Amino acid sequence: MTRVFSHLDALEAESIHIFREAAAQFRKPVLLYSIGKDSTVLLHLARKAFYPQKPPFPLLHVDTTWKFRDMIAFRDKTARELGLELLIHTNTAGAEKGVDPVRFAPSLYTDVMKTQALKQALDLHGFDAAFGGARRDEEASRAKERVFSFRSPGHRWEPRKQRPEMWRLLNGRLGTGESARVFPLSNWTERDVWRYLLREKLDVVPLYFAADRPTITRGGQILVLDDDRLPLAEGETVVTRRVRFRTLGCWPLTAAIESDAADIESVVAETLSARTSERQGRLIDHDQTGAMERKKQEGYF
Amino acid sequence: MAAGAGTGQAGMTMASDEARALAATLRDLDGIVRILTCGSVDDGKSTLIGRLLWEASDLPEDTRQGLIRQAGPDGIPDVSLLLDGLVAEREQGITIDIAWRYFDAGRRRFVVIDSPGHEQYTRNMASGASHADIAIMLVDARHGVKRQTRRHAAILDLVGVKRVVVAVNKMDLIDWSQSRFEEIAADFATITERFAFEEAVALPVSAKLGDNVAGRSAHTPWYAGETLLEIIDRAPSRIIESGSAFRFPVQTVLRGGTDFRGLAGTVASGVVRVGDPVFDGLSRRQANVRRIATMDGDLEQASAGQAVVVQLDTDLDVARGAVLSSPDAVPVVARAIEARLVWLADSPLDASHGLLLRTATDLVPLSSIAIRARLDLETLQETAVSSCSTNDIVIADLSLAQAVAVDRFADNREMGAFVLVDALTGATLAGGVIVTAAARSASEGNDAFVLTNEMLARGVCAGLASSDPEFRRRAQEVAIILRAAGVTVARDKGPGES
Ligand SMILES: Nc1nc2c(ncn2[C@@H]2O[C@H](COP(=O)(O)OP(=O)(O)O)[C@@H](O)[C@H]2O)c(=O)[nH]1
Repeated sequence: MTRVFSHLDALEAESIHIFREAAAQFRKPVLLYSIGKDSTVLLHLARKAFYPQKPPFPLLHVDTTWKFRDMIAFRDKTARELGLELLIHTNTAGAEKGVDPVRFAPSLYTDVMKTQALKQALDLHGFDAAFGGARRDEEASRAKERVFSFRSPGHRWEPRKQRPEMWRLLNGRLGTGESARVFPLSNWTERDVWRYLLREKLDVVPLYFAADRPTITRGGQILVLDDDRLPLAEGETVVTRRVRFRTLGCWPLTAAIESDAADIESVVAETLSARTSERQGRLIDHDQTGAMERKKQEGYF
Repeated sequence: MAAGAGTGQAGMTMASDEARALAATLRDLDGIVRILTCGSVDDGKSTLIGRLLWEASDLPEDTRQGLIRQAGPDGIPDVSLLLDGLVAEREQGITIDIAWRYFDAGRRRFVVIDSPGHEQYTRNMASGASHADIAIMLVDARHGVKRQTRRHAAILDLVGVKRVVVAVNKMDLIDWSQSRFEEIAADFATITERFAFEEAVALPVSAKLGDNVAGRSAHTPWYAGETLLEIIDRAPSRIIESGSAFRFPVQTVLRGGTDFRGLAGTVASGVVRVGDPVFDGLSRRQANVRRIATMDGDLEQASAGQAVVVQLDTDLDVARGAVLSSPDAVPVVARAIEARLVWLADSPLDASHGLLLRTATDLVPLSSIAIRARLDLETLQETAVSSCSTNDIVIADLSLAQAVAVDRFADNREMGAFVLVDALTGATLAGGVIVTAAARSASEGNDAFVLTNEMLARGVCAGLASSDPEFRRRAQEVAIILRAAGVTVARDKGPGES
């Protein structure tokens, strides 16, 4: 009997192959764990790739100190239950200078607390490769990204200097000062991520599901107040709304959407019929045109 | 909040027809088809890809309505706008790179690999094509087959694409002329008959109007063939097509518990079952498969495309780079390779740099490379040359400082393809396909400097077992340095070393 090899099976096998190639070729890899649904799938695939061993690399979370509390709880529970080493890095210099998403422009805040923090963490531990959950279908600037994407010294991404990738061959040999980003989910679509979460019965952060949450509206977007660090402006009042998130990040920069979808099937239904692209919930992307492109060149994931 | 698959709960928050529609979108699809599109600027590539999306994929209704609203006086939506990302890409200045797009249609996932067609981008097209199951070559019906169509066919053949479709586009502009179409189809056939394509078809389309893309055209009653969507929909995915002899390139060794030592890899071709004898060509040793493990449970068998862990009944001590095969159909353990290369690097070949050959999972130093001829892709003539630069397709003889397990590309595409890597910068210099592989080249004398394990163990590898991957890595680095200094180096492996 021949087993049906579905498109998810093919994607899963390809991702496992990529994980193993990277682990065999790089000296000291790390998995960038950002707690969202893509990271959940990424981590699950990493476990499959090295079974019966544990993944031979730690998880790294860049903590801006402004993540939703539910995200942090989920992160710690996941690492504990799977028995994986979890490294948490915060740009303490930035935090001490008071760089926060409330008083600073999103682009500056992201640069200091995410981009710089990530570079610090990679340099601090001497990681030469970092797994990330980026997909080519996310947006135009990623449609040409490689599976093994190289960064020059200083973690700069130079689109013109990327290596061609042919057949299934992945060349992970680093030049002096180079490091790599590895994207095992390159060929997955957002749909595939949801399909796979359902198929593999994976838990995701409860913020993806609708619940009554304390919110304000600001700039036409709904923000959920996760603690009392965000001062309210004149005329802003806290209203309980039934909302969920399509994407997770720093809470003052992540817009919620009104929804009744309280379980994964309903969320998937809403997502698959959604009219707008996934990243719209992430305010930072609207800060300036070509923002993602620039962030990438500067070393944001 | 556990995610339960397929519960009845969904119906509580959704109308039942919505739930049914959802169930359909959540199903696993039957497979993935990767489609390369190539053509000259303005042949209508964006329009054709847009038309496929428009006709066959489940575009959001508001996107559809938006395009209908924006349509000009003729009322035809400009489907090329669906590829709006292209604008951003043009501004980025990396248009020459291949772009990947994904859509679902019917029971399949389609991946469109969009590559530039111009001659100066041969390398980009070759790398894009190496991923494709089928290629759509665009031709403007008014201009017919051009020199570049011949070049494109040659590149597709080189990297192993087996199915090509020439879409004769803008048929509406030549009044749906049957005779003109047949002329172009015949020109195309004279090109493709020189190559090993399993299928080469021409079809008359109008990307702009949609004729013969998803639905049969009323304008071409004389065309009895399939629509474009029908052709790509029945294209088999790569996995099914790869050769049938069992090949399992070992990626890494995994351990678990006290006695589990498993070989992790993706089955490159063929099938393996528990109990099967398997052979490692590099160490010339044999064992039987005891277990095929995955996190989802053990398997009775694994076939091409599956990523698994194989445990053997006797520990062969094989490592990354080994290729398990069945004992009666083994790969070549090669030290000399004749190959076709597409030169990818910006700079010409400089043999003073150390070069490495990366196969499915092995990496070995070259002891020499000799370029023999350049292939003119338009005339298919070979010209004797001894150097090569960006975009060149050349025939080359490679001597390896260490043996690798490979197959001819024509026999096994997973095992017969490689890339050349600059040992110092790590850059990928060339993609190559193996034409012939032999244990030792005729020209290579016995005057090579032999780097023995003993020599290494005394110095640079002191304290390391010769089976240690680090031992091997250092040995390779030493060979690379010597090679860069102009010394012909061979490596003498200890008995049983892989
Ligand atoms: N009449 C006609 N025009 C077409 C057809 N396909 C494309 N075009 C037009 O040809 C021009 C170039 O098309 P485009 O898709 O942008 O070409 P690309 O540069 O290959 O991506 C545009 O003005 C299209 O509207 C067709 O089938 N019929």
